Amino acid sequence: MIELAGVSKVFDGKRKVVALENLDLVIGRGEMVAIVGPSGSGKSTLLNLIGGLDRPSQGEIRIDGSALGGLSDDELTRLRRDKIGFVFQFFNLLPTLSCLENVALPLHLRGWPRKKIDERARALLDLVQLGNRLDHTPEELSGGERQRVAIARALSIYPPILLADEPTGNLDTRTGAEILKLVHDVHDRLGATVLIVTHDATVAHSCPRTLTLCDGHIAGDERR
Amino acid sequence: MILLRLLSWPYLRKHVLRWSLTVAGIVMGVGLLVAMHSANQAVLASFGTTVGRIAGAAELQISAGDFGFDEEVLERVQAAPEVRVAVPVVEAVADTGIKGQGNLLILGVDMTGDRSLRDYDLESGDQAIIDDPLVFLAQPDSLMVAKEFAERNHLEIDSRIPLQTAHGTKYFTIRGIMRSGGLGKAFGGNLAVMDVYAAQKVFGRGRRFDRIDVGVKEGVPVEQCRAALARALGPGFDIAPPSASREHFEAMLSAYSMSMNVSSMFALIIGMFIIYNSFAIAVTQRRPEIGILRALGATRAQVRMLFLGEAAVAGTIGSLLGIGAGALMARGIAMYVGGFTSQIYGVKQALDEVAIDPRIIVAGLLLGIATSLLAAWIPARSAARVDPVQALQKGKYQVLSAGEGSLRRRAAALAAILSAVCLWLGRSNLVFYAGYALAVLTALLLAPMVALWVTRMIRPALRWLRPVEGALAADSLIQSPRRTSATVSALMLSIAMVVGFGGVSASIYLSVTEWIEKTLNPDLYVEASEWLASYSWTLPGTAGADIERVEGVEQAQMVRSARTLYHGVPVMVVAIEVAKLAQKVHSRPIAGDSREMYKLTAAGQGAMISDSFAGLRGVGLGDTLELGTPSGMLRLPVVGIRRDFSDQQGTVLIDRSVYQRWWKDDRTNIIRVYLKPGADPAVVKARILERFAGQRVFVLFNKEVRQYILRVTDQWFAMTYTQAGIAILIAVLGIVNTLTVSITDRRRELGVLQAVGGLRRQIRHTVWIEAVTIGLVGVVLGLAFGALNLYYTLEMTRRTFAGIALDYTYPGPLAGLLALLVLGAALVASLGPAEQAVRGSLVEALEYE
Repeated sequence: MIELAGVSKVFDGKRKVVALENLDLVIGRGEMVAIVGPSGSGKSTLLNLIGGLDRPSQGEIRIDGSALGGLSDDELTRLRRDKIGFVFQFFNLLPTLSCLENVALPLHLRGWPRKKIDERARALLDLVQLGNRLDHTPEELSGGERQRVAIARALSIYPPILLADEPTGNLDTRTGAEILKLVHDVHDRLGATVLIVTHDATVAHSCPRTLTLCDGHIAGDERR
Repeated sequence: MILLRLLSWPYLRKHVLRWSLTVAGIVMGVGLLVAMHSANQAVLASFGTTVGRIAGAAELQISAGDFGFDEEVLERVQAAPEVRVAVPVVEAVADTGIKGQGNLLILGVDMTGDRSLRDYDLESGDQAIIDDPLVFLAQPDSLMVAKEFAERNHLEIDSRIPLQTAHGTKYFTIRGIMRSGGLGKAFGGNLAVMDVYAAQKVFGRGRRFDRIDVGVKEGVPVEQCRAALARALGPGFDIAPPSASREHFEAMLSAYSMSMNVSSMFALIIGMFIIYNSFAIAVTQRRPEIGILRALGATRAQVRMLFLGEAAVAGTIGSLLGIGAGALMARGIAMYVGGFTSQIYGVKQALDEVAIDPRIIVAGLLLGIATSLLAAWIPARSAARVDPVQALQKGKYQVLSAGEGSLRRRAAALAAILSAVCLWLGRSNLVFYAGYALAVLTALLLAPMVALWVTRMIRPALRWLRPVEGALAADSLIQSPRRTSATVSALMLSIAMVVGFGGVSASIYLSVTEWIEKTLNPDLYVEASEWLASYSWTLPGTAGADIERVEGVEQAQMVRSARTLYHGVPVMVVAIEVAKLAQKVHSRPIAGDSREMYKLTAAGQGAMISDSFAGLRGVGLGDTLELGTPSGMLRLPVVGIRRDFSDQQGTVLIDRSVYQRWWKDDRTNIIRVYLKPGADPAVVKARILERFAGQRVFVLFNKEVRQYILRVTDQWFAMTYTQAGIAILIAVLGIVNTLTVSITDRRRELGVLQAVGGLRRQIRHTVWIEAVTIGLVGVVLGLAFGALNLYYTLEMTRRTFAGIALDYTYPGPLAGLLALLVLGAALVASLGPAEQAVRGSLVEALEYE
């Protein structure tokens, strides 16, 4: 499902920073993988490269057999739109839109009919137990509720890949546990490939596979 | 200063585009101001120099408007003991027929006395012919031309050139070429000298002169000589130093100057909004920085000074660039204004040079800096009031607080009430203008709230149109009214200004069209000049009867129209056969009884005046009008007020018999010809030209005259188009500024949109829709406030220079065009920021705070 071959990422600023170096990795369809490691080890960079938000300095990434390197920006966007759902640490919901509108956003961008969009968005908000908060804006929700909306948005297209960057990092322990349960639930129900970047050992232990990164290299790949 | 270097400089470097736009606001205002004043000064200076060159050493000039006066006046002037020398002059504009050379101003002078007033400084030719004027006089086809004109046309002594005279095209022999400089340089060399008596003959003046140039006897004060001549000649003469012409010219330019002044002031005010907008945004974005500064011990005054220092720097740079831009624009404007001299002399003024007065440079610099400081004052004060604790917390600062909204509403209500009171009491100009200023203030106070309300109204439509892009664009505006309100206000003001001036132009156009329809109804016009505004070319008093004898002509109305001074201001006197006019023209008078006023005027017992004359000179129905004539003071009661656009300064209509009696002149310059039913105008025109063969006669069809007048009226629109251009420039500047900030503010939001599958074109659409929505809100507010501004502009026009109560006509087509242009400009303005929005790192955008 996800293949990385000799992938490096170097940031050219005032001084050169090597975020990832010569990485080879294969993640199979339906796997649930936690990516752990200290700050600056390259976890988020790896997620961004797999998600097509950034491009590698070297090497090749393949999603479902398609190489990302040759894709234009718009083709990369289409790939994200059709195959990848994102969950961010700071939710990244659009503050002016209601819960329903936020979840419907990727579907509108795909040009779906309004009725179908409405049905799908409502169903997903029911799934994350926010069916009673359809017209609320993000600022009217708690942190956990916001992350639920973000997950519902990420699932709106039923993506084969779900990428979550510190999904519980901005939540208290109890809410974090609820969100983790929700992610597992989604994984079980939809059979999606899930990658979670986390600092939280509980989250990492809950996943069948854990990748440990250190200084841009894979320091460990543990399967349970 | 250290804070400026440490904090402002990095911020400025990071936001170069925004700072450039901020400075552009000042460049525009100062540039227009400098250009307009420099151009006016250059034209006036050139005009003054030309008048001086033509006048030579003459200390006084005697004239009787455009009518001229009898030769015997010269003897009375020469007899005055205070006069050293008095020289008669005939001035005529003649077409040379040489392609691209335009008209020549022919100065007919008396060579026997003139050389003591004017130095001809001959370049070549037989000096003897001027040393002995009799030789020059003995050859009536003699002409002296300027060196520049001779060189341009490869002319030498004894070359012959054609000139259009009263008797058709005649050839003249060049017997002298004046050196470049002095008289020879007036009108860029388009000036020729001939003998005054020859000029009288060839230009159909009969035994009349246009002017007498006077040299005062040594030891006699000029004023004393002027008073003595005024006593000797009576009230019909204007006796003034040559420099007075410059004042008359300045008066002619007043309408144009006022319009330009208003435009540059508007540009500066709008520039002020752009600066205010930039600083308000900068303060909002730099709150954390201000918080840190305050936490580290910076005083409120230091923070305030930091922002005012930035404003002063922006103002100085903008002003200096504006002065440079103004200097570049000045020549173009001066060429345009220079065209006004042709309205006086018929010859276009050549510009010597356009120098920028150091005082204008200083004024522009001070005004630019002051405007910038004033605009930044409120944001700087807000910055100084920032609470360090709150500033270090994240949150929204763009939202208008409920308290601020309520304060604005109350202030707006107060300003509106005061404005209405001023309008009600507005007899005095000061109160009226105060009311106008308060109306503008009301609009500015209400603009952010109304803009918000309008955006909320159109959000559903935008959302329906484009569910994601439309809703996000509208939400962006709704969430940050502070970011857009200054741009919307600037747009509102500029659109309202264009609607105001455009409405006046449209009203004038409509009124002129109506006047043309009702008054200018003859089938043909017979004139001595093809140039309709020329009053010096005339036809003999027998011409009317001659035309009436032409087959197909039903009636010929002889008109003598020319400008004369009324209380020191040149106004138009139209002498016409009123009894005949009454049979053919049936326009509704503005004041007076139609039948009675024509009857009394025809009988020489009254005069009719135009509403512009009534308004500008403060003369009403029943008042006694005093007109100076060569035979003394003519006093006539005003028996009617009618609409007449013959002259901007107003028109007095009298019967031809009164003119003949008081001006001792039976010439005519226009003959209005009505044809018998069924007569073909083209055939009758040919017959008239045949009858006057060999004479300078032009026959114009009614349609040609109408077209000429409408063309002149269209000049009003030229100014409106300039202002529309400024409005569009403002739209572009303001919207680019706002969008640049909006995109920075929404970087994360736009990043999210891309991360969840938004294509580049969808992001572009969001930015485009936001820009067009800002434009649309500005247009809605501008067109609405324009309706009120039009009322004030019409009133201002009436009070200041037209004197006419123009009908209120909202310029619908102009408003439509303006809306389209502004929306188009908004879209164009968004192209750059939209590209900026889709470029750059998505990862950085998602992490952006």
